[in-house]
Amino acid sequence: MIKFITKRILIAIPTLLIIIAFSFSMMRVAPGGPFTNERALPPEIEKNIKAAYNLDKPVYEQFYIYMKNIARGDFGPSFKYKDFSVKELILNGLPVSVTLGLSAIIISLFLGSLLGIIAAINRNTIFDYSVMGVSLVGICVPSFVMAPLLSLFFSLYMGILPTSGWNNGNILNLILPITALSLPQIAIISRMMRASTIEVLNSNFIRTAKSKGLNQSYIIRKHVIRASILPIVEYLAPASAGLMTGSIIIEQIFGLPGIGRYFVVGALQRDYTLVSGVLILYASLLILLILITDIVRAILDPRVKI
Amino acid sequence: MQSTQKNIKNNNLLININKLNVFFNTPEGLSHVVKDVNFNVKKGTCLGVVGESGSGKTQTFFSITGLLAKNGYAEGEANFKNYNLITCDDEIRRSFLGKSIGFIFQDPMTSLTPHLKIGDQLAEIAIYHKKITKSQALQRAAEVMDVVKLPNNRDIINSYPHELSGGMKQRIMIAISLMCEPDLIIADEPTTALDVTTQAEILNIFNDLKNNLNIGLVLISHNIGVIAETSNDVLVMKNGQILENGNTHEVLTKPKNDYTKHLLSCIPPWIGN
Ligand SMILES: Nc1ncnc2c1ncn2[C@@H]1O[C@H](COP(=O)(O)OP(=O)(O)OP(=O)(O)O)[C@@H](O)[C@H]1O
Ligand SMILES: [Mg+2]
Repeated sequence: MIKFITKRILIAIPTLLIIIAFSFSMMRVAPGGPFTNERALPPEIEKNIKAAYNLDKPVYEQFYIYMKNIARGDFGPSFKYKDFSVKELILNGLPVSVTLGLSAIIISLFLGSLLGIIAAINRNTIFDYSVMGVSLVGICVPSFVMAPLLSLFFSLYMGILPTSGWNNGNILNLILPITALSLPQIAIISRMMRASTIEVLNSNFIRTAKSKGLNQSYIIRKHVIRASILPIVEYLAPASAGLMTGSIIIEQIFGLPGIGRYFVVGALQRDYTLVSGVLILYASLLILLILITDIVRAILDPRVKI
Repeated sequence: MQSTQKNIKNNNLLININKLNVFFNTPEGLSHVVKDVNFNVKKGTCLGVVGESGSGKTQTFFSITGLLAKNGYAEGEANFKNYNLITCDDEIRRSFLGKSIGFIFQDPMTSLTPHLKIGDQLAEIAIYHKKITKSQALQRAAEVMDVVKLPNNRDIINSYPHELSGGMKQRIMIAISLMCEPDLIIADEPTTALDVTTQAEILNIFNDLKNNLNIGLVLISHNIGVIAETSNDVLVMKNGQILENGNTHEVLTKPKNDYTKHLLSCIPPWIGN
């Protein structure tokens, strides 16, 4: 196990390097730079600024300096948020984004699996049809449409939840963004869980369990869930990627000071270091999640050797 | 004289099937796959069931054990220990299943739960029905593994199904069915998926169960040779009906029905006497 994890972390390093190089070059290829303005700066000042941020050096040298700093854990200063380093900005937004993302993923996994199992057990009943119908809507309606609709209804009409803001993580402020973020994932997960549970219920080993005279709830708990949850575990990493991109928009809509906001603002303003920093964070999180996925899968399914 | 004989017969009677019918709702309409079937299984004997694919062998016994697919239902009687298994509560049927009636399926490769250790799959049935502790159940598991001639049973108890061969898995399936000392074991083509040597070993185990443990055995098979070697009585089924029902030796040597003759003509003459 430890060998497996070490190996995976070692493999992750080149993956990260490629991602950093890619984001670095994409940013340079995109037209404009951090100090491009409608009103041109006097050439001497521009030259000074560029020199301060090493932007006057050849690109490969910039890359070398950047990588050297990252290796020391220094993501550089933000080009746009003066007086802040990228690290400070990220650490600033992290609690908000982590609260949002973690709650959304836990809720999606739990509710999605639960609804999927119940729908599979009661397939072709009203419950099944309603879960599947609603989830179809959940899949089709993107969260940036769902979010304003939710705040329109719950904040403006009903007046029971705040429209936006972080408010130090007050639960009332979190309900709408987490809901908007989770709904599409709940929809996808419940459909996957329903399909895999039906497949497991029709499998030969469940027939064996029935022939043992075990009752339904025992069979579901002991024989079904661990087999039918496997596709959901595999989906954990893609789901998290979906939640990350979703949270970028959701944070904007609900005015939450998370990392997603820096990502958008950074990209719009060519804040090279900020965008790269956020990207490295997202990529590392995903790599970590894929690792966790593999470990959980090996725990659930003895046929998987790690 | 005659009444005593009947009495002995009744004492030996394990399950009586009377006018059993099985239907399936299909998109094309109602399909009637088992038609007015009657037969008995006696203690310590083996009832062989032969017939071509689709003749209703499996569904007959699925209906008795409540394993029919959702679109199927059964009518008639399957009298077992004062209950009609066709019409009784699910709960009562479940209390017999696994405890008094064991079922062994055709495909041992997929019949065990992949994520549970063999020991757990053996033990759970006894823990569930007999309310004993896990260590008692594992002790019983070691006993039944001896019966099915599985050596090194410590190792096997701690392994997962994918680590065992097909023959070992089928022995485990038989061992599971023996955990609660059943009266009746239904084996649906238990050797079809296995190689010939393993097949012979498994059939030997069945013979032992029948002779030593006085278990009533139903052996469903495509293979008349297997039936000839193992069963005391035989049912010949076709299109959901029983064409022939009687002593195996008599049926095989003096078949009354053309279909039985046809089946017999399909096997090499050196099998079964
Ligand atoms: N769920 C179902 N819905 C509709 N028809 C079914 C269903 N299950 C089985 N049948 C039909 O019932 C008939 C009897 O099937 P059964 O499984 O008892 O055959 P069998 O004699 O066991 O054959 P085999 O030797 O191939 O196992 C077949 O014609 C089959 O198509
Ligand atoms: Mg069959």
